[in-house]
Amino acid sequence: MAELLQYLITGISVGMVYALIALGFALIWKSSSVANLALGQIVLISSWFTYAMLAQAQFPVWLAFPLVILFALGLGWTIERFALRPLIAQPILALITVTLGIGYFIEGVVTFIWPWSVDALPRLFPREVAHIGPAVISQEYIWVVGICLVVFALLTLFFRHHKMGIAMRATADDQMAVQACGIPVTTVFSRSWMFSCVVAAIGGILIASIGGITHGLVQTGLKAFSVVILGGLDSFLGAVVAGPIIGLCESLGGGYLTPYLWAGVKDIIPFVIIIIVMVIKPYGLFGEVRIERI
Amino acid sequence: MSLPSGTRNYTYAQDMAILRTKTHWALFIGFLVLLLTAPLYLGNYWLGVANLIGITLIAAIGLNLLIGYCGQLSIGHAGFIAVGAYTSAVLTNRLELPFLVGLICAGLMAGLIGLIFGLPSVRVKGFYLAITTIAAQFIIIWVINHWSITGGFVGIKVPYASIAGFEFRSETSQFYLIVSIAAICTFFAKNLARTRVGRAFIAIRDNDLAAEVMGINLLYYKLLAFFIGCFMAGIAGSLLAHWIGFLNAEQFSLTESILYIGMIIIGGLGTTIGPIFGVVFIRLLQQILTVEIVPFLERTFTMLPAGFATGVTPMLFGLVIILFLILEPRGLAHRWALFKSAYRLWPFSY
Amino acid sequence: MKYKKWVVIAGVLCLALMLAVLPLLGSACAGPEEKTIKVGISTPSTGPAAEKGAPMGHANLDCIKYINEELGGVDGHPIEAVWLDNAYDASKMVTNVKRFMDEGCVLFTTSSSKMMSSVMEIANRDGFPGFAAFNAPVLHRPPQHIYGQMPDYGDDWVAFSRYYMENIWKGSGKPKMAMHLLNNTTGYGALDAAKAAADELGIEILPPEEHATDTISEIESLTRIKEQNPDVLYISSTPAPTAVIIKNAVELGMYPGVTIGLGHAGITKALVDIAGADIVEGVYGVFPTVNWGDNVPGMAKMTEYCQNLHPDDYGNMDYITSWAQSLIIAEILRVAVANAGYDVLAKGGEEAWQAVETQGIQKLNYDVGGLHGPVIYTPGDNRLSKSVRLFQIQGGEITPITDWIEAPLVKYEEFDWFGQ
Repeated sequence: MAELLQYLITGISVGMVYALIALGFALIWKSSSVANLALGQIVLISSWFTYAMLAQAQFPVWLAFPLVILFALGLGWTIERFALRPLIAQPILALITVTLGIGYFIEGVVTFIWPWSVDALPRLFPREVAHIGPAVISQEYIWVVGICLVVFALLTLFFRHHKMGIAMRATADDQMAVQACGIPVTTVFSRSWMFSCVVAAIGGILIASIGGITHGLVQTGLKAFSVVILGGLDSFLGAVVAGPIIGLCESLGGGYLTPYLWAGVKDIIPFVIIIIVMVIKPYGLFGEVRIERI
Repeated sequence: MSLPSGTRNYTYAQDMAILRTKTHWALFIGFLVLLLTAPLYLGNYWLGVANLIGITLIAAIGLNLLIGYCGQLSIGHAGFIAVGAYTSAVLTNRLELPFLVGLICAGLMAGLIGLIFGLPSVRVKGFYLAITTIAAQFIIIWVINHWSITGGFVGIKVPYASIAGFEFRSETSQFYLIVSIAAICTFFAKNLARTRVGRAFIAIRDNDLAAEVMGINLLYYKLLAFFIGCFMAGIAGSLLAHWIGFLNAEQFSLTESILYIGMIIIGGLGTTIGPIFGVVFIRLLQQILTVEIVPFLERTFTMLPAGFATGVTPMLFGLVIILFLILEPRGLAHRWALFKSAYRLWPFSY
Repeated sequence: MKYKKWVVIAGVLCLALMLAVLPLLGSACAGPEEKTIKVGISTPSTGPAAEKGAPMGHANLDCIKYINEELGGVDGHPIEAVWLDNAYDASKMVTNVKRFMDEGCVLFTTSSSKMMSSVMEIANRDGFPGFAAFNAPVLHRPPQHIYGQMPDYGDDWVAFSRYYMENIWKGSGKPKMAMHLLNNTTGYGALDAAKAAADELGIEILPPEEHATDTISEIESLTRIKEQNPDVLYISSTPAPTAVIIKNAVELGMYPGVTIGLGHAGITKALVDIAGADIVEGVYGVFPTVNWGDNVPGMAKMTEYCQNLHPDDYGNMDYITSWAQSLIIAEILRVAVANAGYDVLAKGGEEAWQAVETQGIQKLNYDVGGLHGPVIYTPGDNRLSKSVRLFQIQGGEITPITDWIEAPLVKYEEFDWFGQ
């Protein structure tokens, strides 16, 4: 029983990390229907930038974090302005591929500036663990869960009530109509990329404080795709619900299946879930089902 | 068709011929002679590069049928190449079957696995399918790493390719083997694209709903595209296995899959000549970046920061992909067509 | 539209020019005719393993420069290093080796075992000798023309387990060892050794656990390990996942308590940085080279060259490995020239390769300036250095606690599960 509780808690907390990154993905998809495959690399470069601020420049936390947010905003604006905007109205294949190209480019920049590739952020959270019954959870994860929920709440409110948020939803629905209404579509795209990069940067800081800054951050970004697929590409609620589900599958599946299957089964569980969801419910748990017309 | 004025068709066969004019024939024969005598003036190194290009080309042609003609985005091609490579390795090494059996089985096995992972394509497309194929890649590699028959993390040795007692030992003999298979694949793809199957693929790519309404069996043709695309990946994998002689699952990374997409986009999606341009361009670019430019930079500019040479390569590579998509979304093949028509119409190009 | 077109054409032209000019540049750099000896060196200086490959490439070339400028090359013949990047890509490594053969190199080296494994069949088929800085059983079992400079990840395990049985284990009966493995050769190399030698050493191996490089929580696998009450936990992995595992072990209250041992890929400064010095205090690890600043004869020149030419690499442990690799190349050539004569080597081709192997590599007896264990060839064992040292993290410093200890040869090919 004790181990079940531990698996549950670990699963939910790890799942929240995926959910946080997935939110950044859903944000862009919701406003511009672009699948951002460079998400992992954006996470990577923002955590390196955090490292530069905290460890290299030795700025205090209250100064470093706003700078990281500014950096993320700038990054999002740059990507959208120079890579995505020239491709407006191109087929989806071009849009997906261009994000792959962006990913390569960012990786190059990261290696260029920080060639040693593995490092650690200064310790941001105390090392004492919290106990829930017989199970333990480290403080980083408590923060992750909290921050993820806050970001989720902010995004939901923003999209429901703020003018720009509503414009973003409208843009995703019908770009032409929105343009005809006088809403500047390019600004909408630009904003959504900027916000998305900020979310990714927050995720990056949290993950890097857990497992160090490595190339593995790109892979973690990939795992977040299973979350968005399960939750539905354009649903914030989906991301927040599907994250813990994937996390639970990983920890429970890893916990109870590993003795019977090959070791390391936990690493492919998210991908198996993707395939199953694709066959059974392709638009995810909360995704909007689009009806196609000729 | 863009043909010089005065080219007339008297029969249907004439109309459909690939080589139409005397110039075509002359150029074609010249190209063949150049290609087949290449081992005479290329060293082992450049022949090796040529072999790599040939193998990549076979896989890229398959991917082009899948993405360029049928519009089914697959980011797991390296996984299917791995299936072919390992099938061939296991059959020829562990069961000591002849190379040709290994080659065909590699294609069939990769095709079958492709069918399984292509199944979701019936319900989803675009980004959803892309993610499914990424998942396929990870699952395939994971199985290869953990299944005992593949040698697992240790890897597996692969004997030389041999047909009827002749072993393809030297780089030159392997060159002829690979070139002939690549030529067959190119010819097959060119012809497939102008049959009913190819037209069905294009209809599905342009609008699958409309295609279905027209009476095209979506399930059949989408899966057929997956089968053919992955079959070619399997053939390429088998050749790669026998060329390298040793397999390790890390050779088939997601980066490699992404690279294949880059190749066919740069070459030009949905054209026969596109993959050839794309593969040659990317492989040479890689080779020259890593073999010539990086050592050159490192040697000459020792005062540059440590990550310079290391970081510049992926940056350049990403930049090339982005710029191509922005400036020339139809790829090198389109540029080639423009060049041809400019040449034909000169000096009255407008 | 017109403008865009010209940009494209200019771009294409530039690329074409680059394609055309660079090979020429490369060959022009080959330089004047001198009585040199050519060796091929390949490192993954770009691509996914660049953080290891780039400093290793620097070290290789810095050391060759040192040998040529200060020691007058090998017996008066400068070493000409044909250095190629392989981007950690197997097919590129294959073409690299063909180029080495074409250019008349007498031997070749790689830094990673994976790159070597992808070309070992090609090299073995032609009898082209080479050695990899990092070793793996598949390279040298059964022994052919490929050698390994360092002990492999399995040797790490054997050395650690022996030390553990002799010095740490105080209980009665068999100690229970849990293993946490990275999902590649680094991890599974250790498992192979454990399968082969655990009975002999008297250790009970628990079912192995596996993790990926990007892991952020191993609580779940450690919970499973914890239930079986292991006495010792062996982690064969790279720094970041190792840090996560040890952190989680501390959180679960397993550590301190069990003994933790690491393979040589894991025990680096990055581990201490990521996990925090207080967390990893007391962890054991195996490493095959000395530290920067240690008092050994080869240290002074290496430090001097590193600080002059590549100051960024100072403190990088892989730099030491590759510096030593180039020293070994020079020693092999020196022995081969002494035994077989320069003319045989100058010819290149199979005769030279055979001479280098039988008259050079197989007659090695060299201390590598004390940078790592002594290099002595013993017949039937293609590991050049067989020795490692045990380290323990004390107060955030990775401190040696033993002298060189030799890891015995494990004949993997005699086990039918090997490679299955």
